[in-house]
Amino acid sequence: MLNFLDVYERALQGPLMTEQDFDLKIFIPSLRRVVKDYGIEFDPENPIPSDDRAADNLFNAAVDFLSQVGIYCQDTNRVIQFSKEEIMEAVREAPGKCLVGDGKEAGVFGMRSPDDGKIPWLHVGSGIVASNEEMMSNLIESYGTIAEADSISISALDNIRGIPITAGSPAELYAAIRGVRIGREALRRAGRPGLPIMNLISTAAAAVTTIAASAPQFGLRPTDGWLVGAISEMKIDFGAMNKTAYLLNWGANIGAETAPILGGYCGGPEGTSVASTAYILMGLLIQKGNYQLTFPVHFQHGCSTTRDVLWVVSSSCQAASRNIPMPVIWLGYIAGGPNTKSYFYESAAYLLCAVTSGAPSVQTPHPAKAVKVDGITPLEAKFGVEMAMAASQLSRERAGELANQLLEKYESQIPNASNGSTYQECFDVTKGKPGEDYLRLYNEMKEELADMGVPFK
Amino acid sequence: MEKEKILENLAFAIVEGDEDKAVENAKAAMEAKLDPLETVENGLSKGMDDIGEKFGKGEVFLPELLMAANAFKSAMEILKPELEAQKMQTAQKGTILIGTVKGDVHNIGKDIVSTVLETKGFNVVDIGVDNDTLSIIQEAEKAQADVIALSCLMTTTMPAQKEFIEVLEEMNLREKYFVIVGGGPVTQEWADEIKADGYGESAVEAPVLVKELIRKK
Repeated sequence: MLNFLDVYERALQGPLMTEQDFDLKIFIPSLRRVVKDYGIEFDPENPIPSDDRAADNLFNAAVDFLSQVGIYCQDTNRVIQFSKEEIMEAVREAPGKCLVGDGKEAGVFGMRSPDDGKIPWLHVGSGIVASNEEMMSNLIESYGTIAEADSISISALDNIRGIPITAGSPAELYAAIRGVRIGREALRRAGRPGLPIMNLISTAAAAVTTIAASAPQFGLRPTDGWLVGAISEMKIDFGAMNKTAYLLNWGANIGAETAPILGGYCGGPEGTSVASTAYILMGLLIQKGNYQLTFPVHFQHGCSTTRDVLWVVSSSCQAASRNIPMPVIWLGYIAGGPNTKSYFYESAAYLLCAVTSGAPSVQTPHPAKAVKVDGITPLEAKFGVEMAMAASQLSRERAGELANQLLEKYESQIPNASNGSTYQECFDVTKGKPGEDYLRLYNEMKEELADMGVPFK
Repeated sequence: MEKEKILENLAFAIVEGDEDKAVENAKAAMEAKLDPLETVENGLSKGMDDIGEKFGKGEVFLPELLMAANAFKSAMEILKPELEAQKMQTAQKGTILIGTVKGDVHNIGKDIVSTVLETKGFNVVDIGVDNDTLSIIQEAEKAQADVIALSCLMTTTMPAQKEFIEVLEEMNLREKYFVIVGGGPVTQEWADEIKADGYGESAVEAPVLVKELIRKK
């Protein structure tokens, strides 16, 4: 496989063009052509398809598309190109697993297939902003007490000593260092200091912040996981490449992070499914990831639970899990916030979709589109784990039937979904226990889902 | 060809994003001696309104909008000489300067808003991504903007929207521009807190918001 310096050289020598020309003259026409040539069609009646040939066809379309388009480097205004042979070589040589965690929390994050009865790697938590250190610390400690959790994402701080965190500033650097120290200490308090933190560095936009906060004295280890984000769509910059360069030299786990946007340059669900699959390939080739985090979202609603985005998640997850040995964490953005019925319906639909489609891992679906400060609680993580375990016992076909029933309950409410309660509003933060009302809602929703046929343990 | 048919074909070509057909029908309109202003308003702009409506309903997406906008521009090139010869002007709806704030390189939301505003006939000056406050102000002065639209996707770039409004005040320029904000983490509460003049949750709200602000001017 091409090594990272080969990729960097291509970023210096590839075809020169403006970003606008890349978007309008390369990306859009190539995507439309590939969708047409491969006959990719969205079926709104069937948000979780179960056709293996269609999944393999989508994979082939994604390889073709990536070989036609390449990746645009914003810092050099050049396109990093790959031949089909190079892409397939990267697929053949992909590790297919990722070794994470320390001590008794060490584990192998590996692959799954569609309709796989195996429980996915259970990744809990989020990088959603916490208003203060106490809130962040208690939240992470509570996540750590979820026995089934295999790995964790930790929150980002909203401010440092009252100073707002701004991208690339000294405040960002201070907050990143403070954040990883709080995260590791909270996991120690939960009795799981070796649990891998896999969304590093959640506060860092700048590479310098990531590198600074990764110094071992602040508590991180190469067996944690660092996210290196692509820029939508199919772009990269030196900031991200610098992170990769550092992490490769250190030998740390790299998570390629991508967020294809349905309705943006990808167009509708068909094009977005091709791009979503191509991003997994990009993660191998550009960010040099040994795992991936992806969260396709709807351009207008900012969530992953519309019918068309569910189809994108399912089809691209199947294409990737059948053909690309890359452990991927599939993350859903939910329109409804904590302590709302909609959250449970949407989260259940997303997890049914991803788990039965072969997701190697699923993360706690993020409430309120992940933009509400203190807008997540440990109860969503607990529900996510239970729901993912139950979904692994179902087939794609059965999950599709359930997803359709759930869509009937929440689909029309997405545009006006309530962003729900904050952590402190519906939880006893100090004791880590949900409030009575929220606990009642959680129990009612689980009962309703069980009545529908979700096989909770 | 009849006038109504030409205008209908022109609008259809815009909706389809068919640049060749849009140019062909614009030429047909000029050959048939149609009023160029009426051709713009009842042909080209009608097509843009139709595609904008489809976008609002989620029936088409950004690529279709961009193709329609491209067809519109090419057809306008055909009509422009005649508009100028007859000293006619299409209605000026106002100039919007749009960009993402310092530290934010995420362009898609901004591009969608920019295209939606263009399809509604506003003069849009798009300054791209990662703009520092003083550069935005300089560009707004140069463009003689009516409205400045600031986008961000990250919580850590939201403070730059606040800073922008504070600097405008510091430079005694706050009254000169309407400032609207948007982006994934941005809310009406945030817009109120930083004293922005407007906020839109989705791109389709932008033309109504901007029109209302400019009407107040």
